Amino acid sequence: MNYILEGFIGAINLLLTKDPETYSAIWTTLRISTLSITFTLLLGIPLGFLLGHYSFPGKRVLRTIVDTLLALPTVVVGLLVYAFISRRGPFGELGLLFTIPGVAIGQFILALPIVVSLTASAIEGMDPKVYLTIKTLGASNKQAAIASLWEGRYAVLAAAITAYSRVISEVGISMMIGGNIKWHTRTITTAIALETGKGEFSMGIALGAVLLAFAFFANTLVSFLRRRA
Amino acid sequence: MKDIFRLENVIHQYSGRTVLDIQNFEVKEGEALALLGPNGSGKSTLLRILAFLEKPTKGRVYYDGKMVNEPSFAHRREVTLLLQNSPLLKRSVEENLCYGLKVRGKTSNMQEKVRTALEMVGLNPQKFAKRKWFELSGGEAQRVALASRLILKPRVLLLDEPTSSVDSESAKVMKEAILKAKSQWGSTLVIVSHDLAWIYQVTERALSLFNGKLINHVPENVLSGNWEPRNGSLFALKLSDGQIIMGAGNPMESSTALLDPKDVIICAEKPEEDSALNALEGTIVSMNLARDTGQVLVKTLVGDKTISSLVTEKSMKNLHLHPGLKVFLHFKASALKWLQ
Repeated sequence: MNYILEGFIGAINLLLTKDPETYSAIWTTLRISTLSITFTLLLGIPLGFLLGHYSFPGKRVLRTIVDTLLALPTVVVGLLVYAFISRRGPFGELGLLFTIPGVAIGQFILALPIVVSLTASAIEGMDPKVYLTIKTLGASNKQAAIASLWEGRYAVLAAAITAYSRVISEVGISMMIGGNIKWHTRTITTAIALETGKGEFSMGIALGAVLLAFAFFANTLVSFLRRRA
Repeated sequence: MKDIFRLENVIHQYSGRTVLDIQNFEVKEGEALALLGPNGSGKSTLLRILAFLEKPTKGRVYYDGKMVNEPSFAHRREVTLLLQNSPLLKRSVEENLCYGLKVRGKTSNMQEKVRTALEMVGLNPQKFAKRKWFELSGGEAQRVALASRLILKPRVLLLDEPTSSVDSESAKVMKEAILKAKSQWGSTLVIVSHDLAWIYQVTERALSLFNGKLINHVPENVLSGNWEPRNGSLFALKLSDGQIIMGAGNPMESSTALLDPKDVIICAEKPEEDSALNALEGTIVSMNLARDTGQVLVKTLVGDKTISSLVTEKSMKNLHLHPGLKVFLHFKASALKWLQ
């Protein structure tokens, strides 16, 4: 058991002494997740509104597909993105494999169904009179969509945080697309996997603690927002 | 007065079911029109069509003299509708009032406009402007919802059951605010309400909808049930207390008869027997002043039905009418108009 205790002490030491390798993984994780979540929200929230608000042929099928994609395995996303951006793939010339944007693309695919589905649910769960009220006050379709999303802001924000929690804690995409390259694409999760394999518990525990802190903060926020929604 | 709205041969359907079938319908600019009728008669659907929220399945809608195929922004922003139990936006009272102005780009003097609109609906601006939507009572929220429309100084103000969830004090304040909008800005009013006492004080003309069809007079009394054939061309409808309403004509079974309140006479004494004349005993339950005519709408409970009649102020005084008084209602069997 001593090695676990020593691991905890070492982890605290790494965090307090601002160990460059540890902080490099944290910083890389934040860069990738920020990039992926930004594009996810930019596309996912409008798509979620369209899916939740409008009725159209095939909506139920589309909704089922989106909901199914909520359980998308990260290694499957990694595999697909790898196939497309590897040297032999259709987008191989872009040189995205083993880069931060490459990993962000994979995480974007992972998070998009979450934001679309939860935003659609937020809009569907809203009193239909809210949208009509906004329209009766003279709003254009675009203004009404923005105002409706604002009315469901707590639920939409909860969707964003849920998606962020998913991307920050995934390992499959980061490992397969990023390649776990030290100082470059090594993230918190891939570093934990590697260091644990090497028997270096200190860094694994330190990074795990940071990840848990992120997850705890995000879930507390989601829980708070769900109560407000 | 010119027509602000004209509808021609308008049919509106939901999933193939016709909910509105109107041959002709006009609203004059600046008038205050009441739309009456039972639940499910198509009143709210008609308001939504007038508010350009829905396009009729068939037919033509004219606004300000021009046929509207696709309503322009300018049209939509001249007409505003207060929905039944209209929700407030999840913002402060002030932000609720400002929203309509902001989407129109009219952002000058907003504080002053908010103050004026809140005062119109009897809410103290200093006390209410910063309150959140959840810090209001039902009546206050409905008054804020009305103020959010009044602040826009709409050319047409459509109101769907505006007083359905408010107390009498709020209803009184809302009536005054609506009438002020009409007198100050010449707003055209189209109001749906089951609160007849309230609506008769606000409007000058009333139309009724029944099963999606417009009836060009106001049949206060809709008499539905199993009409059984009697002697000659008379048909009888039995009430819960055993009294019988006689109607002349040729109704289908289970058809509906309309009875104009003007055709119902209130008497203190029961008249002589006459099969062609109805004489029903009942108790007066309410009396309301009709704003346009100065007459009083008296509602009398007869068995399980409430029958309305219009009486002059003079008759009311002569008969010493008051709620709770037992009276006789007289009307001819031929006064009933059959709706097949």
